[in-house]
Amino acid sequence: MDNTVVISTPPHVKSKKTTRGIMLDVAIALLPCAIAGIVFFGALAVMVELVAVAACVATEFVYYFILNKGFANKCKDAKLVCKKWLKQFDLTSVVTGLILALILPVSVKWYEIIIGSIFAIALVKMLFGGTGKNLVNPAAAARIFMFLSFSATLASYGAANFANLGDGYLLSGATNLSTLLGANPHTTLSPLDLLLGTGVKGCIGETCKIAVIAGFIYLSARQVIKWWQPLLFIAVFGFVAVLCSGFMFEGGYKFDISLFLPHILSGGVMFAAVFMFPDYVTSPKSRWGQLVYYIAGAVLVAVLRCLTQLETVSFVILIMNLFVPLIDKYIRPRPFGYKKEKKAKEEK
Amino acid sequence: MKAVKGKYYFGGVHPHDMKSLSSSAAIEVLPAPDTVAISTSQSLGRPAEPIVEAGQEVKEGEVIARAAGPISSDVFSSVSGVVTEIKDVQGAGGAIEKFIFIKANGKDEKCYLPPLADPSPDDIKARIKDAGIVGLGGAGFPAAVKDSPRTPVDTLILNGAECEPYLTCDHRLMLDHTDEIVKGARYIAKALGVTNIKIGIEANKPECITAFEKYDDIQPVILKKKYPMGGEKQLIYVTTGRKVGMGKLPADAGTVVHNVATCYAVYEAVELGKPLYERVLTVSGMAVNKPKNLRVKVGTPVQTIIDYCGGELVAPRKVIQGGPMTGVALASYDVYTHKTTSGILLMTADEAAAEEPTPCLNCGKCADVCPMHLMPMNTAFYSAAGDFESALKYGQTMSCIECGACEYICPAKRPLIQAIRKTKAYVRAKVAPNAPAVRTPDQKGRSAPYVPPTVDRTTEKEEKKNG
Repeated sequence: MDNTVVISTPPHVKSKKTTRGIMLDVAIALLPCAIAGIVFFGALAVMVELVAVAACVATEFVYYFILNKGFANKCKDAKLVCKKWLKQFDLTSVVTGLILALILPVSVKWYEIIIGSIFAIALVKMLFGGTGKNLVNPAAAARIFMFLSFSATLASYGAANFANLGDGYLLSGATNLSTLLGANPHTTLSPLDLLLGTGVKGCIGETCKIAVIAGFIYLSARQVIKWWQPLLFIAVFGFVAVLCSGFMFEGGYKFDISLFLPHILSGGVMFAAVFMFPDYVTSPKSRWGQLVYYIAGAVLVAVLRCLTQLETVSFVILIMNLFVPLIDKYIRPRPFGYKKEKKAKEEK
Repeated sequence: MKAVKGKYYFGGVHPHDMKSLSSSAAIEVLPAPDTVAISTSQSLGRPAEPIVEAGQEVKEGEVIARAAGPISSDVFSSVSGVVTEIKDVQGAGGAIEKFIFIKANGKDEKCYLPPLADPSPDDIKARIKDAGIVGLGGAGFPAAVKDSPRTPVDTLILNGAECEPYLTCDHRLMLDHTDEIVKGARYIAKALGVTNIKIGIEANKPECITAFEKYDDIQPVILKKKYPMGGEKQLIYVTTGRKVGMGKLPADAGTVVHNVATCYAVYEAVELGKPLYERVLTVSGMAVNKPKNLRVKVGTPVQTIIDYCGGELVAPRKVIQGGPMTGVALASYDVYTHKTTSGILLMTADEAAAEEPTPCLNCGKCADVCPMHLMPMNTAFYSAAGDFESALKYGQTMSCIECGACEYICPAKRPLIQAIRKTKAYVRAKVAPNAPAVRTPDQKGRSAPYVPPTVDRTTEKEEKKNG
């Protein structure tokens, strides 16, 4: 035995999954959405995606370089610092950049993307302690920030290239409920169109639901997310949305289950359910906590969507993220074989 | 009896079991080494007290140290020879233990207890105590204490799960010595006064399950292949559906759990009068030349065992005594086997985990796989900040069985078990502030405040210091 032997506490075997591997899986799962976005919205979508990813990664690097201790020393041997940074680089900023790009409309300006990316990485993530420490989802926070700052460009959703918009159809990122409820029934798209994303206005990655479903299947198969979480979210959301939209009909309450598919297939609900709600850092740690988180989130999205048409999904993500520490504090699993004190006393 | 399927419990991980390395190798007997060094702390509880002196001649199977207190066990010489010295040496677990060094004289004289024919329950209990039998699954709890439960029991559960990866010693024992294990189990059942015997075997050992199906009084239970299936509380739940709460003993749920290797030792003690001074262990790993299952005398130097298996194939990255999930990493081959040593594993850099930890993602995978349904990430988070009270409150650390499933699954490679042990050490220090800083650990280093030094894991603090 030579001296290279390693001593540590058990376990001495570990799973091959690493943070970087998981983030790579998420990036791969986002690719179908990214490609669908390029197909629907053209070369401009490539620009948005590349700029967002590059800006996020660059922000993280600059933050690491400047704001960590010993800036002067770092400038001396910048090469070493770069190497060290690469060693700890875990692709989280790539995923943040990609998600941010996919929830932006294609009409967004390049400098707006950069400002949004800097906000997402520097203010939302790094300032709170970097990977694993951010309170809210960086992409969702940046989306809200950009929506409030550049509302002019963000509100005008780009038209898909070969979209059949002859009927003057409008179904934006935040679902236009009056359209959905058939103010002009002959202009609504069929659920199939919504599924494929043809003729739908919206954000780059959110329009094609087939791509989102492909990402969902990949993530579930790789056990990055739990398959029941997005399904639960979408099911609860669809049901509550149908219940709520019953109030919107003229002439009294009407329960119309046929609205279920249009509801879940429109807007960013599906994308958020697969890629943004299950974000590890900003979702509860325990099974029961997750159950509460998804159900509450779904109900909130459904109700808010019926009341307003502004950015419901992104806002709900932020609201639910802020509730996560509270959920984690109060909803904890009961240890195996644990008995409540009262019950234990009774047995005695 | 026909095998039945066990119940399901939430949690657990599925490591590569790597059992095919050694599962086909029948048990071989390792020739007696020239010198053995027998530790006096062979079981949980207080170390035994030596009753021999340097220069004294001892026979194989002679008592060399007497149990000190109720939770302790006698220690026997594993060779016939001369006691050369008694001194304190650092054991495999890292703590200082008292070792009795015996040089073999080649006479091969045996000193067995008289075999028992048709023993009464009290005879069996006395024999289990006299033969120094401890739980051979790894924890090393004295079997005599287990077999005198305070509450009435109705079920004896045999642990044949062997859920640890790599280890195949119980697997081979169940195949090669099925009859003996069943006889031993019947003796234990007689001592306890129970008739209901169940044996839990993981589904990856179908030949063992069929081997036990031919006995009428034993109920084989097929366990899903999952780690930690062989954990005592998990095994009881899976086979009987009873839950053993925190701080409770299996006897509180009306059960007694024994490893199959313990049953074999009981058989030997009762029918042959042979005290416990040798055991079957697995030598495996990709870095060892010929993986084997060996019958090894207690106190054999690890170097002798490695040499018998053809030495190293490549330089190992980690050397482990015990299983890879709960075993102790060895710093050198200059240590000696115990009654509870179930394996010696030489692992290559590919197999052994030695990654740097990255920041916790809060992914909750550790809580998902925890067989005790705890929150290991909370323990790690609060104990890193020194807030052990919160660690206990939010992590429920005292229920932890230290199976290692959380750290196995952690994508950020956080040292969770280390944090859990630190928190438990804090509690022990609080409960008994005057206890010596280093207590004798069991073979797995459990229940000891000692935390083995980490060479591979630079803590974040050190990292920051270095810039």
